[in-house]
Parts: sequence; C-alpha cells; structure tokens
Amino acid sequence: MTRPSRWRALLETQWKWTRGILLLIALTTFAIPLLSLRASAGARDDSIFISSMQAWAVGYAFAAAGVGLLIGVLSWSYDHRLRHVYALSLPIERWRYSLMRFTGGLALIALPVATLFVSAEIVAHSSLVPPTLHAYPVALTLRFAFAALVAYSVFFAISSATARTAGYILGAIGLAFVLNVVLRAAGSRIDLLGYVSDVLLATPGLLAVFGGRWMLVDV
Amino acid sequence: MTFAIETSDLQFRPGRGFEISNLNMHVPSGSLYGFLGPNGAGKTTTIRLLLGLTPKQSGTITVLGRSMPAGSVEVMARTGYVPERPHLYPTLSVDETMRLHSAFHARWDTTWAEELQRQFNLVGERRIASLSKGETGKLMMLLALAQQPELLVLDEPTDGLDPVVRRDVLEALLGYVSSHSATVLISSHLVHELERICDWIAVMDRGRMVAELPMQEFKDGIKRLVIADVARAAAEPPFTVLARKQSNGGEQWLVRGWTNGMRDYFARGGGTLREVIDLDLEEGFVELLRSFRGAA
Repeated sequence: MTRPSRWRALLETQWKWTRGILLLIALTTFAIPLLSLRASAGARDDSIFISSMQAWAVGYAFAAAGVGLLIGVLSWSYDHRLRHVYALSLPIERWRYSLMRFTGGLALIALPVATLFVSAEIVAHSSLVPPTLHAYPVALTLRFAFAALVAYSVFFAISSATARTAGYILGAIGLAFVLNVVLRAAGSRIDLLGYVSDVLLATPGLLAVFGGRWMLVDV
Repeated sequence: MTFAIETSDLQFRPGRGFEISNLNMHVPSGSLYGFLGPNGAGKTTTIRLLLGLTPKQSGTITVLGRSMPAGSVEVMARTGYVPERPHLYPTLSVDETMRLHSAFHARWDTTWAEELQRQFNLVGERRIASLSKGETGKLMMLLALAQQPELLVLDEPTDGLDPVVRRDVLEALLGYVSSHSATVLISSHLVHELERICDWIAVMDRGRMVAELPMQEFKDGIKRLVIADVARAAAEPPFTVLARKQSNGGEQWLVRGWTNGMRDYFARGGGTLREVIDLDLEEGFVELLRSFRGAA
C-alpha cells in the first residue's frame, strides 16, 4: 500500500460518500441539454424553438443548486455523525482540513460540470438547431459551474458549522417566514420574503446567478 | 524525571453537576500510566482536554513538551489515540481506513500495519460498519500503533472486548512499548488489567485526582491492619488511615503509606498489631474511593 497525499486521501472519502448521488446529477446534467433539444426539434419557428428550450432551463438552476447542496452537506455529514473526533485527532490544522474538504468537493463538482459541457457541445453541433440561432455551450457551462460553486460554498459553510449554528440559521429563516405571514395577515404592505428574495436573487445579489434566463440556444 | 504529560490546576466545567477541578497530573516519560476511575469520574473528559479535543477553561496542559491546545498539530502527529467510542468512518473499508490514516502520519509503518492486520485477522475489504466491536477495537489499536507514536493515549481500549481480543490488543501494545520506549496513558475501570501492565497508577473520581503514584508503591502501601487494644494506640500514626471499622473485639484499619518499620507505632503505644493483610489493586482502589467520597 502506498501512502496517498492528504488531499487525495480526503477526496477519496468524499468520493465514496457522494459518488451515487454525484453520478445521478452528472447523468441529469448530461440529459437536460439533449432532452431539451429533442423536445424542441421540429419547432415551427425560432421563437417557439427558444421557448421550448427555455422550458427546460430551470433544470440547470435546480441541478446547480442540488449538486451544491448535496456535495456541501455530504462533505461534513460523517464528521458530524462522529462528532468530529477522528478529524480533530488528525495532525492537521482545522482550517487546512476544512480547505481540503472544500477543494475536494469542488473537484467532485467538476464531474457534472464536465458532463453538462459535453452534452451542450453535442447540442451545439447538432443539425436539429435552426441555423439562424446560436448555441452557447461554454457560457452555459460557466454559469452552471459558478452557480454550483455559489450553492456549494453556502451549504458547505452552513454544514461545517455546529448543529446549533445550523439551527440558528434555519430558525432565522423560519422566523422571517412566520413574521411575513403575520405582517400580511395584519394587512401590512411589507413583504419581508419578497424583499429578501429581491436582495438575494436580483443582481448583484448572492444568488443572482440562479435567476434570469439559462439559455443554451438563443438568438 | 521528565513528563510526557503534565497538567497544572486544570479546570473544566461543561455544565451543572460535573467539573474537572484543579487537576494536577504527571505522566512520566516512558511509563505505562494507568488512569483508573469509576464510570463518570471524568477520565474521558480529561483525555479530551489533554489532546485539545475539548478546550480547557483554565490551567495549563503540556504534552510532549508542547503547550496544549496550541501545539495540538505537532502533538497529534506524535500521539496515537484510541478513543472510548469508535471514531472511524463507517462507510470506509479496513484498507481504505488504513490508507486514509497513513496519509496523515509521516512515520506510518506500512509493513508493520499489514503484519498487524494479518495478526488481528482484519479483512481489508470489510466495511467499518460491518465490523464487530472487537474487530473495531483491534483496528483502532492498529492505526494508533502503526503511526509509531511517542505517546499512546488509550481511552478504555479493551472495554467490552472478549478475553481473546483483549489479550491480542494488549500483546500488540506491550510489544510496541517494549521496542519503542513509548509512553502510554491507558484509562480503564478494569482494575486487574491495569495492575498487570502499568507501572504508574492514577485514580480519579468525580473530576478530582485521588491518587497518583508508582504502581508498586500503591500496591505495597495500601494494607488492612487487624489491631487489638486500639484505645492505647498512639494518636498520630506515621501512615494515613483511610478507614476504620470494628472487628472481633478489635478494629480493622485500612491504611495507606504503610511500611514494615511502622510496626513500632503500635508497640510504642501499647497496642497489638495482629495482622497485616495485603490488598490487591482492586480492593485498594475501592477502599481509596470509599475514603475519598467519605471525606468529600
């Protein structure tokens, strides 16, 4: 047995914990462009073709959020379950360990990003795309990668915290939701959740990358 | 004498009802230090404090010459740790776990690890979750030993193991210690196990250190004395009386710090010492705790 590097050894654990779900997501990101093309092929005109492609676009945002959520949470789940005893007993600074886990997760996210790119390239070179339209496989892939990175970073950070901290965060979200319901019931015009979603999803909000059009084929 | 582990006035109070209080601990370098105490005495908490796994509240901790928890990275590189509860990732196999562990320990001895794996009958492909308690215990000991540490901190390493597995684990431990002159801190509530292997003993109860001394001194010094004519015994004995009880017209004293030269004490006072009974470690331990709790 040869001794692997520390990073590789941690990456192997993360791969083992996430490979099932990761392969499923990679399959999904490979399928979405092809399915959207198949559904849109034969459209009467360009605008219908684009609308049909657009209907599938939400899948990219969900896939990016999903891969970020799952890899972020699974990167820490076994350490949490074991109360971090093994991780803390290793001769490595805590920040360095977290960084290795983080970059390991990033390496894993590269898989669905790559399958999306391959699939998007296949669509771009397909004769089913009307010659008057353009395909943007690189732009879509970069946007997907960035969205997955944002989602992964958020969920990795939340998951790395203690259960108590995660509870505080979920509690704050729940409180905002309840407050919003109470305000609306009292006839107030204040839309707390609307405001929060505007702040997060509108440019330059933290989650703005998830909003707007995710188009593989456009004018 | 140099110490592999030293604490001074260590204080830790995790919540109401329990605290580690003014703990002063001295584990001599090269010793096999038995850390004895009933369940709930604070042994595991103390070990976690020593290794920086739980932050201390006050006091000082020095392990292998480094202040803790500041020096924990260097200390953990030189320390093999077997915790009370299994801490290994359940989805990994035995081989994967060894591979992961080896990546973090520069002195990992692959050949010896594989030899121990064969000796312990640990199948490489088996998942940790499917291992029995004994197999998990053996694997944790394998990991701790194959990293060739200067210090081994073992928290109830044989608790719940059958006698055969326990013997295998202890043999591997003693083999390593004899060839590497490592220091071992081994906590247990199995008194006879520690009596067999340790040369130093510490007794902890309710978060406090009750006694810390060489094993031989502990075993030699604790006696049950059968005495007649107690009333005439001198007032200030040269040993510590832990407990006294009436017995057949005389008394039985449980004493600590006894040596044969102290027989004069009774002769001078006109009392009669009828018998000096050796106590084994377990009896000594129980009586020591009883007297400590009585005094508290």
